[in-house]
Amino acid sequence: MEDILNHPAVQAGIAPFLAALVVVALLQFVRLGGLAAVAGFGTAVFLISGFDFFPLNATNKIVLLGLAAPVIGLLLEFAFKPTRLGTVLLVLAAGAAAVWAFMSVLQQKELAQALLIGGGVAAFLAWLVGFGLARAEDSIRAGAVGLGLGLGGGIAAILGASAKFGSYAIALGAASGAFLLWQMLTNKRIHAGATFTLTVTVTAGLLLAGTMVLAQLPWYSLVMFALVPLATRLPLPEQSSVFVQAIVASIYALAVAASACALAWHSSGGTPG
Amino acid sequence: MRHKLAVSLIALALPLAATAAPEPYTLDPYHTYLHFEVDHLNGMSRMRGRFEKLAGKFTLDQAAKTGSLEVTVQTASVSTADNDKGSRPRSRDEHLRSPDFFNVAEFPTMSFKSTKITFKGDNPSVIEGNVTLLGVTKPVTLNVENWRCGPHPASKRQMCGANASGSIKRSDFGMKFGIPAVGDEQKLWIEMEGYKD
Repeated sequence: MEDILNHPAVQAGIAPFLAALVVVALLQFVRLGGLAAVAGFGTAVFLISGFDFFPLNATNKIVLLGLAAPVIGLLLEFAFKPTRLGTVLLVLAAGAAAVWAFMSVLQQKELAQALLIGGGVAAFLAWLVGFGLARAEDSIRAGAVGLGLGLGGGIAAILGASAKFGSYAIALGAASGAFLLWQMLTNKRIHAGATFTLTVTVTAGLLLAGTMVLAQLPWYSLVMFALVPLATRLPLPEQSSVFVQAIVASIYALAVAASACALAWHSSGGTPG
Repeated sequence: MRHKLAVSLIALALPLAATAAPEPYTLDPYHTYLHFEVDHLNGMSRMRGRFEKLAGKFTLDQAAKTGSLEVTVQTASVSTADNDKGSRPRSRDEHLRSPDFFNVAEFPTMSFKSTKITFKGDNPSVIEGNVTLLGVTKPVTLNVENWRCGPHPASKRQMCGANASGSIKRSDFGMKFGIPAVGDEQKLWIEMEGYKD
């Protein structure tokens, strides 16, 4: 059993997928199916590193923020419906959170470089969170964003030399896949909400930014990943079944994510084996 | 008479005072390396590597049987002789520098600072101290396998050299990725030479 749980495919893929599927199946009726994202991510964290946040380095801050995102999502869903100003403040807070996560690295840089990198990761996360919140009611597009950022981000992170970040991101993609699959099989949209979109955008955004800051993902890969939420805004065949709509939205997201991965592959100098 | 006695006593004590002072040495970066060994794929083999760049100082007081050792290692200098990625996207050494292992972007150095040195005869035999790695500080004990001091055969500069070994558990420092496929326990060896300042 230990050998099975230690297998990377189980830690990053199968276990998070199954955990997410169970959460969707059980909690969709109370509009909490969006917790599938954190169920998948949390499963991967538990299996790969455990929930140990000391010392509070950049990686542990990313995990903390990823686990905190659905809590904020729940508050937005059930307690405080954000006004336009509230949404703007939340987006800015996401940017600030990105700077906080990487502060220990930024402090080691020259001021100009620190501002450039810090500003860049803040803008990247704010962009993703803003787009995610705008699409919170569209469970198909939200799931596709999670799939693209998760699976694509995971592959890009592995190409960027961090298998751990890659595993975490793939787990997010697997969970988003489970979220989409349930809707495809039941031909019924379920509620995503801020609980889902905040989790996928914050977590995937920080993992991608982390791979750039701490490993070797090129910055232009991040720019391409920022287009994933935009891509899912392309038209879907609204008259078709949920199954077809999910496939089309996923293709949009994965096509852009694949381009971002290609840029990461190119920067690594990788050639076919 | 009393004045002459005082001067005599002071003159007698001076050499003893000079012998009791700790003698400072600076580590020679070209002959001082930290090596490590770790289990790979649940015992399939033991992978070895070393850190190419470090700096440090030690002091030695053979009369008082005390000393100290401080070493700072550049984590980005980790090398397992696999820095050419070939057709792979990344090499093993690049992976070791990533947040999965030594996280060099966030923690560019790791350090060792001794807290106690135990002598056997005139030479150190055990060096106890603290390792700080990935922002976490834990105690470690190094067993000195040999220690020798004398003049350099060519330059005649006073120098000391030693080999010491110990081990740590990387999970104690938060480096948990890959366990158990990549082992938790890391054996450490240091070969060092230093010249008297």
